[in-house]
Amino acid sequence: MRWRRVLSSRFVIVPTVIAVTIVAWNVYVSLHDHGLLQGRVIDAAGHPVGGATVILFAHDFVTQVEKARTHTDAAGAFRFDDNDSHLVQLQAQDGGATSPRITIRLWFRAQDHVLQQPLRLAPAA
Amino acid sequence: MTRRDRRLLWLRHSVLMVISVVMLAPFYWVLKASITGENIYDYPPHLWPVRPNLFNFVDVWYLIPFPRYLLNSIIVSLIAVAGNLVLNAIAGYALTLPFIGRRSVIVLLLSCTLIPFQATIIPAYLITAHLGLLNSYLGLALPLLSTIVCIFVFKASFDAVPRSLIDAARIDGLGELRILLRVMLPLSTPAVATNVVLSFIWSWNNFLWPLIITRTQDMQTLPLGLARFLSYMEDTTAALYAFVVMVLAPGLLVFLMAQSAFMRGLTTGATKG
Repeated sequence: MRWRRVLSSRFVIVPTVIAVTIVAWNVYVSLHDHGLLQGRVIDAAGHPVGGATVILFAHDFVTQVEKARTHTDAAGAFRFDDNDSHLVQLQAQDGGATSPRITIRLWFRAQDHVLQQPLRLAPAA
Repeated sequence: MTRRDRRLLWLRHSVLMVISVVMLAPFYWVLKASITGENIYDYPPHLWPVRPNLFNFVDVWYLIPFPRYLLNSIIVSLIAVAGNLVLNAIAGYALTLPFIGRRSVIVLLLSCTLIPFQATIIPAYLITAHLGLLNSYLGLALPLLSTIVCIFVFKASFDAVPRSLIDAARIDGLGELRILLRVMLPLSTPAVATNVVLSFIWSWNNFLWPLIITRTQDMQTLPLGLARFLSYMEDTTAALYAFVVMVLAPGLLVFLMAQSAFMRGLTTGATKG
């Protein structure tokens, strides 16, 4: 009876809920932190662009520095396997066309992420 | 309840609500700034958060060694809380017992509360250095292991326990330590809660002492991390306010969990006559 009262007190319940949440979050993180970043590149008309260069910029405290480059396949898809940042930017280039830099904010370092919107190339002005 | 009483009640509650809003407004503004990217000097200001998100908290977590600071703060605060409970309870109980010079000890302790910590920080530093505790968790918690205010919180609570109960325990053969553990402390949970809350918050918010005795970044606590973060970032960025919220949250949580017992602990013995 005394133990039941102790276990149901807020001094036990609140820390337990916090501990369970932390454990669950860490399990989720460990299952989704492979550093995978995927997306597509399309041209102004919406067609996939093969062979375009995609640059990954990572946040370096106050600036963004280039971390990696990759190329799109024939379907316009690209993939980075080793992103270790939580705050990155992506930009695509193909000849004279470039896409705007888009910022991706992740919930934790190296979170696997698939871009919902493709990088759209626009001819340089 | 008469019509006049009801009107007075409404008036009282209205005034209390206005005071509450005034007191809580800065906290709300910090919280709002932490979950939006807006500059606090933006004009006109937005009353409600615009496009709220929690990414500023993620930035804080990774931009500085936040987990390390958090762990250090938790360890130091736990040591301070444990030290306060043990040492203050023993000291508070001793002050309820009759002994020669008791009154002088009480006067001495009370007069010591007038001396600010800044005035004793050099001797405190030298003692900590002689003990070889610089840049250690125990050294960080050392000045807060026992606090005079909390000793008197225990003393007031123990004074409120009927003497007959203590005499009965003595007749049953209990020693002083067991009387403290088995009789006094179970009857003084508000004083225990007050000690836990006060020692936790004082230790959690302590800035000057950790600044002086830590030698490496690995031993720094959250208030030092906040100062370091402030030196890196602009003082108007949302990440800074996210940091502030993350520093505040554990103290608030501990206080909210123990607030009813905390209030009782502070007022125990106040009406003893």
